[in-house]
Amino acid sequence: MLFCSYRFMCLRMRCFALLIATVAAVVWSDLSCRGQEAKQLISDYCFDCHDTATQEGGFDLESLLQKVTFDGSLVFENLITGKMPPRDADQPTAPQRQAVLNWLANRQKESPPAAHRRISRHEFVHSGNDLLGIRLDLAESIPEDRGTHDFDSDRRILLTKEMLGAYFDAADEMLDFALPVDGYSVERTWTTGKIKDSHETYNIYTRAYEEGLLFSWTRANNGNSYSFFYDGFEPPEAGWYELTFDAAKIGEFPEDVSLQVYTGKYFYADDRPQPQRLIGVISLANTKVESHSMRAFLRPGENVSVHCYSKHTWRQKEGDQGAYIKQLKVRGPLIEQWPPMVFKQVFSELAINAPKRETRPTNDSRTTLERIGGRLTVSSFQQGMGKEKMQDGSNRTFWHTRYTPTLAEPPHYVILENPAGEAILGFTYATWSGGNGNGLVKSYSVFASDDGKNWGLEPIAQGELETRLANEQLIRFPKSTTKRFLKFLVTDAVALDGKSLASIGKLDVIAAPPAKSERLQITVATPTDDALQQVIRRFAERAFVSTLSDDDLAPYYQLSRQTLSETGDFVAAAKVGMKAVICSPRFLYSPGIHDNIAQEAGAACARAIWLSVPDPSQFPDDRLTARSVREEIGRMLHDDRSRRMVRSLCNQWLNLRSFDKVAPSLKLYPKYDDLLNHYLPLETEAYLQHLIHENLPVSYLIDSDFSILNQRLAQHYGIDGVLGQQMRKVRLDARSQRGGLLTMGSVLKVTTDGFDTSPILRGAWVSANIAGNTLSPPPEDVKAIEPDSAHATSLREQIEEHKNSPTCYACHKSIDPYGFALESFDATGQWRAHYRVEQPHPGTFQYRREGYYAVADAVDSSGEIDESEFENVLGLKQILLSHHRRVAYNFAKKFFEYANGYQPTLKQRLDLFEMIPETAQNCRMRDLITEVLVYSFAGDLE
Amino acid sequence: MSNTNRRDFLKFGAALPLAMNSLNLSAAGNRATPPRRIMFICNSLGFYAPHIFPKTQGDLTTSDYLREMETLEKLTLFENFYHPGMETSNHDSEKSFLTGVTKPESPTFVNSISLDQVLAKQIGGETRFPFLNFSIYDRGWGCSWNDRGMAIPTLHDEEQIFNMLFGEEDLKAKQEQLARDQHVLTCLERDITRLRQSGAEAGKLNQYQHVIDELESQLQHQSYWLHTKKPQVANSLSTDSEFEFSTKVHNLFELAKLALRTDSTRVITLSLDWIYGAINVPGATGGWHTLSHHSGRAETIAKLSRIEIDILSHFNQFLSDLDQISEGNGTLLDHTTVVMGSNFGDASNHTCDNLPTIVAGGGYRHATHAKLGSKTPLCNLYLELLHQYNIDAGAFGSSERDMQLLKA
Repeated sequence: MLFCSYRFMCLRMRCFALLIATVAAVVWSDLSCRGQEAKQLISDYCFDCHDTATQEGGFDLESLLQKVTFDGSLVFENLITGKMPPRDADQPTAPQRQAVLNWLANRQKESPPAAHRRISRHEFVHSGNDLLGIRLDLAESIPEDRGTHDFDSDRRILLTKEMLGAYFDAADEMLDFALPVDGYSVERTWTTGKIKDSHETYNIYTRAYEEGLLFSWTRANNGNSYSFFYDGFEPPEAGWYELTFDAAKIGEFPEDVSLQVYTGKYFYADDRPQPQRLIGVISLANTKVESHSMRAFLRPGENVSVHCYSKHTWRQKEGDQGAYIKQLKVRGPLIEQWPPMVFKQVFSELAINAPKRETRPTNDSRTTLERIGGRLTVSSFQQGMGKEKMQDGSNRTFWHTRYTPTLAEPPHYVILENPAGEAILGFTYATWSGGNGNGLVKSYSVFASDDGKNWGLEPIAQGELETRLANEQLIRFPKSTTKRFLKFLVTDAVALDGKSLASIGKLDVIAAPPAKSERLQITVATPTDDALQQVIRRFAERAFVSTLSDDDLAPYYQLSRQTLSETGDFVAAAKVGMKAVICSPRFLYSPGIHDNIAQEAGAACARAIWLSVPDPSQFPDDRLTARSVREEIGRMLHDDRSRRMVRSLCNQWLNLRSFDKVAPSLKLYPKYDDLLNHYLPLETEAYLQHLIHENLPVSYLIDSDFSILNQRLAQHYGIDGVLGQQMRKVRLDARSQRGGLLTMGSVLKVTTDGFDTSPILRGAWVSANIAGNTLSPPPEDVKAIEPDSAHATSLREQIEEHKNSPTCYACHKSIDPYGFALESFDATGQWRAHYRVEQPHPGTFQYRREGYYAVADAVDSSGEIDESEFENVLGLKQILLSHHRRVAYNFAKKFFEYANGYQPTLKQRLDLFEMIPETAQNCRMRDLITEVLVYSFAGDLE
Repeated sequence: MSNTNRRDFLKFGAALPLAMNSLNLSAAGNRATPPRRIMFICNSLGFYAPHIFPKTQGDLTTSDYLREMETLEKLTLFENFYHPGMETSNHDSEKSFLTGVTKPESPTFVNSISLDQVLAKQIGGETRFPFLNFSIYDRGWGCSWNDRGMAIPTLHDEEQIFNMLFGEEDLKAKQEQLARDQHVLTCLERDITRLRQSGAEAGKLNQYQHVIDELESQLQHQSYWLHTKKPQVANSLSTDSEFEFSTKVHNLFELAKLALRTDSTRVITLSLDWIYGAINVPGATGGWHTLSHHSGRAETIAKLSRIEIDILSHFNQFLSDLDQISEGNGTLLDHTTVVMGSNFGDASNHTCDNLPTIVAGGGYRHATHAKLGSKTPLCNLYLELLHQYNIDAGAFGSSERDMQLLKA
């Protein structure tokens, strides 16, 4: 039988009513008669300031109350959080306050949220991965459909054709990764100690050292981290690889040296830097060589590069400090277990035939020409600049035509022999990257011959080459050739002194890749219809979190069976059925369609905590109590997958998804670097994870005597004695301004434009995300004019202009002061006493360690909020902490919205507020999350 | 624009290493009656009004920003457009640019179909891509909204767009995938029927049904086009990384030009959206948004105009490129209506009246600065455009009437 989620919602609503009736029985019972009383109470306690005559803060509650359509949420919020009536005014008694709240909640006309929501791209990808036992992060390749809504789960977002189309594609990619059409590759290993060519300017920051290389470097003149690319390893296919660096720290200082490991397309330093991904950081503490391993997902065409960071190894030519890397060892593509997990999870009860998967070393560092057994001849060569230099993998060594003792006459050419008659698709060519440019090839023609004598009249290809580009250039023939001899004829070259010369850094052929390496095929021993149905059932039941009748399963099973009968390919048949399952409305909407309330609660909790489906063992039957739900939630929160929830909260609640959109100005903040940028959001994530895991009080959101830091973050915050880049709990000094979310670099940075801090943006962030102020919408008849600040000199003065307009100030009094308190922190989150002003600079180089700025005015971080004054952020934190229920209530509302996809109604807010313990110590993160989840998804269980 | 002269304008326009080789100087097909195309560009932070509007009414050569435009005789600048009910707003106003739906900043805001999508339904079926919607950044929404008011995710990665338009495909694999997806759709249809019979919530199923119907027609459209080879075009995208923002704007215009020239699409939107971060354009570095709140400070306005000039120089290049591609009896520009506008009249104080609106090309009689007598719904112009494209619409958004502003 289908369990209709809408009925469940109605049922739940009734239970809320019951619950509230018990809590506030007296008030609820005769609510209809109480409207007059509530209005009287509002009149008694609010009209001193907010009647039509006074309209304090531009707020005329007296007239508003007479409108049937009046939105009472602002009054409700100010009353429930105790912001109003103000401290120095007469206060209503608790029952009076409750009576007004109940009346407001009850009369509020709120359009009901949609009964369901589409799942987000993150939920789609995480669920797909968990169902198939893979890790493939495709979320970035699926469009973002959140729009300007805060939470991915927002029920106002509807599924679109574009999203469903993207899910169709992503499903194929995930299924092909889990169950590759042409089988699995063997595992390979590589060992390399060689880096690819780099410009001389950069190359002085690496040098031969013992058995490997010493990297000593901080950043390039344009401020970029210039990376050194490893040669001798290219991922043959997309997958997970284990990278092991045998490396040591070289230098007599206590701090670790950090090895930043990136991946991206190789670029030569005279190119503008190409985008790379930071895939990991290795922290070198030891001066003797140790193996450091990390795992990364790599795609073909990506190379691995390293960049050494240490505050001690600042661009020293022939530096004697830095990171010594003996060698890089690579293993992969990794498959966690063999046969792959998907066979256990989806094909579990079926016998399969799986060959053994071995690990094989890759030692092929030959050029393509060498691989096909070819060789080179040249028209002439200068002593020491012979033809072999074109095949040594470097464009810093080169072939050059003879210029002494006699000048070789043109034509200048290279002949490449192809004795086995392989199909040659073209050449790869690179200039000689040194010298004055003399002899660099400007244009060429390629001729082909069977005998090396008769070349024909027509070239098979011709074209021009870039002379200033050191990267490899591809010369593709219009069609491939199997001729035994190919002549690369130089038709024009740079001739600075009028002499005819030619030089080439690298030249190789492009041939068809070696015959596809051996693939391991896994087959199902008995590929019957029954077995297929079993596979589809298992997969669909877990994906839909439901037990399915044969009829329910029929469309999916039929689809698979049709494919099986047409192709005879069992795995392909299973894949198409699985694709339909994860593109089905049963999967793409939440709440789904479930058989019983246990499945429904389990699915909802797994969506919120894991952004995925529950494990098969969870919520096995419908014997469910509120207590057992709490226990399951506890288990889910304990599981590593709950990090997905924490990351979502960071991105959506704290808006860290915008963290990377802005790069700080290196003129003002020269110490800001990739490493710091990598760790700042991780601090917030780790901290929030810790608060939830340890069930610490909600007040830790505001202030704390610790944070989760590492060496780089501690340097940034000016904290001594933290060595190594592993994140760990670090005690903060009692006088520290740090502690809690507000003073984290990630939060302080995300609200800036990279140059200046904006007290308004920061203030709005605190107001909305932490303090939970409800701001009245701007009045309709008033132009939202910027204060006239042309005459105001300082930023602060400009913003203080808000005070002169009651319309502006009604909201900005609850925004700007938070921002003022945080003015003690610059756009990167470092503490400051003075502002910096960017200075022009005449030099060629855009980057220097000291930056280009002048110190300007002193920072004033004082202000007043909620009728309390503060001197700086410490004072602000005290004010926020004195209202722990406001902070907790705000968090509960945000978490409710995250989990349910809509803002709680006023009635639901009454319940949420009830959940918050009176004492700050008892008001704990994990408890609150658990209670909100139980309330949301299992409200009617005892 | 006292500090910017013609030389600067042209110099910035030509600063990118952009050969004319991508023009090829003749549009695809070159048929007797060239198809009509349309493009909408939203400059999300508007233009500094004293610099864009002419000093002398009716005389575009007195507009600091526009006087150097090479196709000045083929454009009209309108003054006094607005979306009724939206005199002020916040940055959400961009959502209403092509829809005219009011209160985009409200939590209960629901958008409606955007003008380009109405046009795409009518004229998009004949090309490989019914429409293209570009944006600078990956924000999840741009100018285009579907018939249920949902944002259509934008295309923002230039190489990916180029590849989508012109890159080679593995036809066999694509064909197999399309065939398989047809089967998957059939399966899903069956399950929907079953779910309906068993009384599952209808709202969800109707929504889903709508989406898979759309996807099904898309698959059919794709299958049809699989038999036609994609046009071969040299990749003329700039990779300059000194001025990343400029490069991006330039490239998106370049892609629009290539798509129009090859008749790959006839409807394009381009959202020149912004982020809080600093951008670097010739002559200035700064946060576009920060600068847009200039509050009348001359120094800030000078920097802001560098960004606006940069955008307009790419716009200028785009229009003059289109105008050099001959087609039928005229040029590609004569058969493409290009609307460049904004959701803000003045981004400094977030007002949305007097939206700067340029209509270029399309074969209309131009070279004017048309100052409308009173505040006029922008949707009046939109309605007229629908009529121009033979869509018999009685109204669009807040339109009152077709004012016949664009005379042939």
